[in-house]
Amino acid sequence: MRTALWLAFAALGLSVGPSAEAAATLKLVEVITSPERTETLKAIVKIFEDANPDVRVEITSLPWGPSFEKFATMVAAGDTPDVVEMPDVWLALYANNGALESLEPYLKTWEHTAELNQRTLQLGRVIRNTAYMLPYGFYLRALYYNKKLFAAAGIKAPPKTLDEFVAVSRKVSSLPGKYGYCLRGGAGGVNAWMMFGALVSGSDEFFNTDGSSTFTDPGWVKGFSALAGIYRSGLAPKDSVNWGYNDIVTGFYSGTCAMIDNDPDAMIAIAERMKPDEYGVAPWIKGPSGKSFPTIGYSGWSMFANGKQKELAWKLIATLDGVPGNLTWNRRTGALPIYTAAAKDPLYADARFKGWFDELSDPDVVPMVMPVYLRAWALFASSIVPRTSQSLLLGQLTAAEMAQQWARVMTKAKQSQK
Amino acid sequence: MGTGHDQSETEPEVRAVRRRLASSAEPYLYSAPALILIVAVMLVPLSVGLSYAFRDIQLLDPFSGGFVGFDHFRELKADHSFRAALLNTVVWTGASVALQFIFGLILALLLNREFPGRRLVQALVFLPWAVPTFLVGLDWAWLFNPVVGPLPGWLFTLKITHDTNNLLADPATALIGPIVGAIWWGIPFFAITILAALQSIPKDLYEAASIDGAGAFKQFRSITLPLLAPTIVITILLRTVWVANFADLIVVMTNGGPADSTQTVASYIFTTAFRRLDFGYASTIAAVLLMLLFVYALAILSLRRLLVQRQS
Amino acid sequence: MTIDMLRRIFYWSAHYLLLGLYVLFALFPLFWLIKVALTPNDLLYSEGIRLWPSRTSLEHFRFVLTHSEFPLFFRNSLIVSSTTAVTVALISSACGYSLSRFSFRGKPLLVALMLTTQMFPLVMLVAPMFRLLAPLGLTNSLTGLVIVYSAFNAPFATLLMQSFFDAIPKELEEAALIDGATRFGAFRRIILPLTLPGIAATGGFVFTAAWSELLFALMLNSSSQASTFPVGLLSFVSKFSVDFGQMMAAGVLALIPACLFFVLIQRYLVRGLTAGAVKG
Repeated sequence: MRTALWLAFAALGLSVGPSAEAAATLKLVEVITSPERTETLKAIVKIFEDANPDVRVEITSLPWGPSFEKFATMVAAGDTPDVVEMPDVWLALYANNGALESLEPYLKTWEHTAELNQRTLQLGRVIRNTAYMLPYGFYLRALYYNKKLFAAAGIKAPPKTLDEFVAVSRKVSSLPGKYGYCLRGGAGGVNAWMMFGALVSGSDEFFNTDGSSTFTDPGWVKGFSALAGIYRSGLAPKDSVNWGYNDIVTGFYSGTCAMIDNDPDAMIAIAERMKPDEYGVAPWIKGPSGKSFPTIGYSGWSMFANGKQKELAWKLIATLDGVPGNLTWNRRTGALPIYTAAAKDPLYADARFKGWFDELSDPDVVPMVMPVYLRAWALFASSIVPRTSQSLLLGQLTAAEMAQQWARVMTKAKQSQK
Repeated sequence: MGTGHDQSETEPEVRAVRRRLASSAEPYLYSAPALILIVAVMLVPLSVGLSYAFRDIQLLDPFSGGFVGFDHFRELKADHSFRAALLNTVVWTGASVALQFIFGLILALLLNREFPGRRLVQALVFLPWAVPTFLVGLDWAWLFNPVVGPLPGWLFTLKITHDTNNLLADPATALIGPIVGAIWWGIPFFAITILAALQSIPKDLYEAASIDGAGAFKQFRSITLPLLAPTIVITILLRTVWVANFADLIVVMTNGGPADSTQTVASYIFTTAFRRLDFGYASTIAAVLLMLLFVYALAILSLRRLLVQRQS
Repeated sequence: MTIDMLRRIFYWSAHYLLLGLYVLFALFPLFWLIKVALTPNDLLYSEGIRLWPSRTSLEHFRFVLTHSEFPLFFRNSLIVSSTTAVTVALISSACGYSLSRFSFRGKPLLVALMLTTQMFPLVMLVAPMFRLLAPLGLTNSLTGLVIVYSAFNAPFATLLMQSFFDAIPKELEEAALIDGATRFGAFRRIILPLTLPGIAATGGFVFTAAWSELLFALMLNSSSQASTFPVGLLSFVSKFSVDFGQMMAAGVLALIPACLFFVLIQRYLVRGLTAGAVKG
């Protein structure tokens, strides 16, 4: 028995022994994970390691589902990396607490800074006009539609306005067991609510000049009402009140619902399960004002302020976001590029990206950035929105009541942000 | 080993004293390893965790941590979500434990008789306990999903439901999903412990009763039930405490939704801690839950003492 | 046919029918797990409701075994669970023996303590525990998990072992003690062998509990070198798609040791608990 015990402990020790010694080790954490992304990340990191032979990069990949709480726990307990993948919704939480290092000094001397498109630096600087992260790509919403279902319902072209959207949904929903729209009622559904609200109100301003929230404006309320109406009239699956990202993508490629609003990276999963002639991507719908407001999100790389090897950490970020690295990365992640020149890359010339580039070149399409600079936004988006919007969808609240609750939270958030 | 010498009077005395010392230290020595581990690894974090209830602990704000006294408790008193979660917890715990117990009792009674294939049946029917709980949640969520699971169709055909929608998407029925999963997973626990207790009841009691002409039902009521009572009480106590704290199934199957209709105190603690990142408030809720369970445990244990006394 | 025979037939039919329902209820979800694990990706949704897919494939199992880090996670789980089971078996035997044989000051307090530890939501322990283990270098390690799991399981295992010891008459050691043996000697040479089934049962119970634990495995360890298989299952939910087929295949593979263990020990659990009968 005793020998067994010792063997067990020995095995334990063996399995968690120290790794091969290197002169320096950088810790890199990725939070939006999938096996393919990890492989790609490792490949780019290898380029960095080859160029800096005495540096080793230790990659930690957090499972995507619980990555938020897992990373928060790590940071709170002092287990911080040198470089971390930073989604836009997390930025306010970490930057406002002084956890992140400003990248301004490094950007000043970087040779590629001038090649970045305007949006990159603008969005990286949302917190106190300082670059606490360097974005690696953009996620712009567009409308995916199922060509087969459209054909079966007699629809010739994707909808361009809100009214057309509802009409199309109705036609598809009349097919037995099919629905028009894959509604994201669960986690991460905030984008759709914002898009519909802005659509009808004709503006993407979240706040009035006096700092109060615009959510209670009649336009926004009508927009919320429209989206809720789509669910209540049975144009979205009854189950979708609980649906998250994976559910809507699955709903789309399994042919249950004909349309979803999503970013380019959803294409990777969809392309695996559907043939190119079965689906298409169109620009997002326009509202009564003739304007469209697809949400634009982004993720990037940040450096932790308590890191001991900041120069090296910057070099890693520079490699990841450098011209070859970034393109390789975006090819895998499906995000839109940060470099002005990259738009000409053959990857983006693919017909499937046409929808997004059409959006970007259309003056009536205004990519809407959500107020992620607000510290309270993360909680609002992840907790308050699902709960209250589900109540709205289920008829427990009216759109006006929900808008009031949201406005209260937003106004308070803005005020306490000073 | 003595050499048979006639040593001085002190040797047996010394040995006696040593033995007395040893025997008074013995219980503590045997309990020490477990005790030290539990105190160090559970009690210390537990007390630290409880202390958060009186402080403002925002997980990502290194400047938080100030003492706030009973502020959190005051906030809790006015918290509607907490009250709703408490109600859900009572329903969730009550239904899960009661049904697990009833079905576990029936199973134990069935397995208490010898019959061919009994060992095999016993092994098969206890398998659910070996499945990790989040896998249980995923599996049952899959089963209830009308796109990929058979249950909505069957329930509709059996006229138990009037459509083939997902139970989990309707606030009125959403809690049923996790309850069914919990029942499936928890029956073996009750069945095993009750079966063990059943098998320790001397058979002659039943034989004597049969000779006296008592039917099966009467035997159950006057022999089985009273002798089982202490075991039943302890297992129900333990299970209730575990289930009340059990958020896994709910988080995996419904995430507390839709619209918080399946939010229990345990899952509310989870969301407060890991979404709001407010560990202070989460700890307050946990402390209140702990107090409630403590009161419940005391009540149950007094009941048990009553039953044991009545038995003897 | 006499009334008596009819009654017997009715009784036994009801008996077997009910048992059949129980077995069906217990096995159906497991059957479904296996069914999904064997369904090829293209049929997963189109043939979702069928009891058996029109075409089965081992592609998911193959992928899990060759292309994911699942074998590593499986190995880690095996190490953590067995070590925890052995550790807990040892310390809870000692403590359970003490509770069974001695009455000492603080005994009710000890029992109350053990029961109280079961009442606290483990979620709240994550942050303090992280802070406790990090400076000791026990985060991101399998050893840390073993320590944590041992502490979690010790209370229930102790109470379990106590009931096993209660079944063995005190006279046995007392006879040995009179013969000059030390208590520990008597414990080791006489009592322990008699409770071997009970120890095996407790060990198996703890193994199953440690095998499926997710929250602390996720929060305390970050690197894949120190991840257990429940964390590994989460990695099948990726940003690109939920690979349910692969996840179920991994789940089925992971179930095998747990089920095997449980099947082996459940007999002893019943037998052992019988003798002591959780009376306490």
